[in-house]
Amino acid sequence: MTNASHEVAKGPHHASGAAPSALSAHSIVKRFPGVLANDSVDFDVLPGEVHTLLGENGAGKSTLAAMLCGLYQPDSGYITRNGERIALSSPRAGLHHGIAMVHQHFRLVERFTVAENVILGSRDLSYKLNRSELEDKVAAVADSYGLPIEPGATVGELSVGQRQRVEIVKALYQGAEILLLDEPTAVLVPAEVEKLFENVHAMTRAGKSIVFISHKLGEVVEISDRVTVLRNGRVTGHVSGRGAADTKELARLMVGRDIELTTQRASHATGHEVLQIRDLSLTVNGVSVLSDISFNVHAGEMVGIAGVAGNGQRELADTIAGLISPTSGSVAISGSLTTDRGPIHARELGLAYVPEDRLGMGLVPSMSILDNLLLTRDRHIVVDRTTVRPEAARLIEQFEIKANGPDHVARKLSGGNAQKVLLARELSGGRTATKLLVVCSPTRGLDVGAIETVRALLDDARSAGQAILLISEDLDEVMSLSDRIFVLYRGSVVYETPGESAQLSTVGAAMAGLQPEGKS
Amino acid sequence: MRSPIRIVFEQRSETPKRLSILVPLLSVVAALVVGALFLLATGYSPIETYSNMLSDGFTSSRGITDTLGLSTVLICTGISAAFAFQMNLYNIGGEGQLYLGMIGGAWAGLALGDRLPTFVMIPVVLLVGSLAGALWVLLPAFVRSRLGTSEIVTTLLLTYIAASLVKHFVYSPGSFFVTKNSAFPQGRLVPDSAALKGIGDTSLYPTFFLVILIAVVLFWVVKKTEYGYRIQVIADSPRAAHYAGINANRTTLSVMLISGALSGLGGAVLIVGPFGRLDPGIILLGYGYAGIVIAALARNNFSAIIISGILFAGLRSGGDKLQISTSTPIHIGVMLQGAILLFALGGEAFRRYHIHAVRTERATQ
Ligand SMILES: Nc1ncnc2c1ncn2[C@@H]1O[C@H](COP(=O)(O)OP(=O)(O)OP(=O)(O)O)[C@@H](O)[C@H]1O
Ligand SMILES: [Mg+2]
Repeated sequence: MTNASHEVAKGPHHASGAAPSALSAHSIVKRFPGVLANDSVDFDVLPGEVHTLLGENGAGKSTLAAMLCGLYQPDSGYITRNGERIALSSPRAGLHHGIAMVHQHFRLVERFTVAENVILGSRDLSYKLNRSELEDKVAAVADSYGLPIEPGATVGELSVGQRQRVEIVKALYQGAEILLLDEPTAVLVPAEVEKLFENVHAMTRAGKSIVFISHKLGEVVEISDRVTVLRNGRVTGHVSGRGAADTKELARLMVGRDIELTTQRASHATGHEVLQIRDLSLTVNGVSVLSDISFNVHAGEMVGIAGVAGNGQRELADTIAGLISPTSGSVAISGSLTTDRGPIHARELGLAYVPEDRLGMGLVPSMSILDNLLLTRDRHIVVDRTTVRPEAARLIEQFEIKANGPDHVARKLSGGNAQKVLLARELSGGRTATKLLVVCSPTRGLDVGAIETVRALLDDARSAGQAILLISEDLDEVMSLSDRIFVLYRGSVVYETPGESAQLSTVGAAMAGLQPEGKS
Repeated sequence: MRSPIRIVFEQRSETPKRLSILVPLLSVVAALVVGALFLLATGYSPIETYSNMLSDGFTSSRGITDTLGLSTVLICTGISAAFAFQMNLYNIGGEGQLYLGMIGGAWAGLALGDRLPTFVMIPVVLLVGSLAGALWVLLPAFVRSRLGTSEIVTTLLLTYIAASLVKHFVYSPGSFFVTKNSAFPQGRLVPDSAALKGIGDTSLYPTFFLVILIAVVLFWVVKKTEYGYRIQVIADSPRAAHYAGINANRTTLSVMLISGALSGLGGAVLIVGPFGRLDPGIILLGYGYAGIVIAALARNNFSAIIISGILFAGLRSGGDKLQISTSTPIHIGVMLQGAILLFALGGEAFRRYHIHAVRTERATQ
């Protein structure tokens, strides 16, 4: 059993002893069909404290947070606020008690603008909305928190990273006393994370409380006053005191073994060109999204695309996958043009594609794991589920997907497990043997154990001669896996460097649009 | 200190199985209760009315065959509506497509005359009727799939035009569909080769079994085939469909056309069955609209539509027969139909939310 208790002196922001916790869960039990998501969980957060929930994918973190904000109701157990028992029958009731949550799965209305989404659910709305006034107000709030968003943009057109920012601004806008952050940093770039953490510190100094959920252990060490580890719905460990445990130890507490995330590069010379991109440009509604992009990816090579969300990554990936037709230029896989031929043609040429948006694009939420595995495969006229079922069961085991079996509906998976289903499908080959793998933020939302597995699988794919295009906002990941790195800024490749000689600072500067001295 | 009670809607993460059966059942019961109140208020005996309806609709052998006979067309319009609804395509013009099915079926029967044997004529009439129904939805389907124009408005508008067409074909002198030189404007009967006989001289026709078969086949198509898979993907997330290379436009078009064809089939079923001619009386019956209610009550499940279609047929045929005797109100059947729709839609709230009362606690701040 892993129950490390480092009772180190408490963090600087809260008085010791008597003060009642701002929010506590007492013996909370929550059952879903087939799983005990929370098994008698006790959890509390003090005023002025950052308390982190840590645990593997499917451990029950989001479920606990959802009950703390009123989205779910516990089957048994209760919640207290400042020592008084409260009934949280809805998120609105949560807001009433000063509790707001940033959800892992976005809960934004895609057709609404950013500003409309941010104010949605606020009580102090007049019947008539003054749009420009509203947008100014939202922009002001966003700016003051250092999270730039465009209040007039429609959410449906934003990248995942931009949506994440909207979610955070929305929660901050509501002026909560207690903020539940469920993987808020999954798609933020380091500078944004830093900014978010500054905000978090400002809030805790003002006596507010933060419940933080993240798989990024470095962040956890940096920000947490306390850490509670969940495993299979049960509390299995505590760490108290800021910086009391290092990432290695947290990983061990979480998955019960040591995790080594190593740098991996192509072990042998790369082969012929698999992906060829020539002078690719894309203009959407008169705005240039991609301009003049040309590069190749070779067999057995991994090329990483770094960049801040919204700089054309999604469009680049979609164009390669045949989902968007470029305005000019061409894409070819193994010498065959895919431009204007549609996604099935690209897949028949050996493409596999993990899009950044999992539920709703990569996965059909209302469908089972089994049916989702069939999404990018040849399904025959009468869908052949019987032969795929054993494979589904095998993939569930191989990727350690926490599910009730192949019939588990995608919507009811935890965030990380949904991502695993998507990866399982795309990494296991489809219509034809995979030659080109385009993966966007493949390890987003995965626990350290799963990250290790996925990185190993990507490395295997590379060794097996597949060409891989890794598009990620996780700079660490791009730097430690890629053989070559390109930085995408405002739709252009502004910087290129070999993976092993890449400098974090230079790549970071290029991502921010600063001209690096040694542009190659 | 007493705190006020509040009703809370809590979104369900999963709908319990029993509710999926209970809610439609209770919708029907609630509608009957409202109907009873209505009957009481207007001075009729609900017990007498309902027991007459029950025996005329469900328990007498004549009642059963009449009900099953009527259910044939209602199941057609029910699966027609459900087939479109399941993909969030709101074809509410089944009524007009049904008229077109009648026009097409009657036309085929009359044009071919007695030249072909029955076993060829019947399928031809049914097929032409279905095609006519599909044709009537072609324009709404096309503008919906290409331009995204709301099919709700276009299909509804076309229903009014279809009704005018029916009247035109029957009332304009010298029309192909009417008997020449007859004093009384009435559709011409299709030849005997295009007319089925009721089973054992009842109003239940063999087409009933055909329609049941079609419902079962459609159920299988949606659950098991590639086509059904596509429908499910598009219905849930168009972006995922795009990602997977599923052509949503084409599927939208075909689903709408099949939906129209099913309503058209309902019209043609009336031609080979009880009506035998193009009859403007169809316009007052609202069988196409009833299909919307039947689909809603069955939550677009094809096997459940067989049951709700038969239930509705019983209410309707039992209710219609009441009109003959003077001691009971007319149109109670239609009224119940409307009430059931309202309750079935309202019942959705119970399926989606856990609704319970709580005492509001004092705010802690
Ligand atoms: N609505 C639901 N219906 C059924 N099962 C669910 C539902 N939501 C979550 N679960 C199950 O409950 C368990 C805990 O899920 P939860 O989302 O809390 O995990 P998590 O710790 O947040 O994981 P992750 O790191 O992957 O986000 C999982 O096994 C999941 O499959
Ligand atoms: Mg989660």
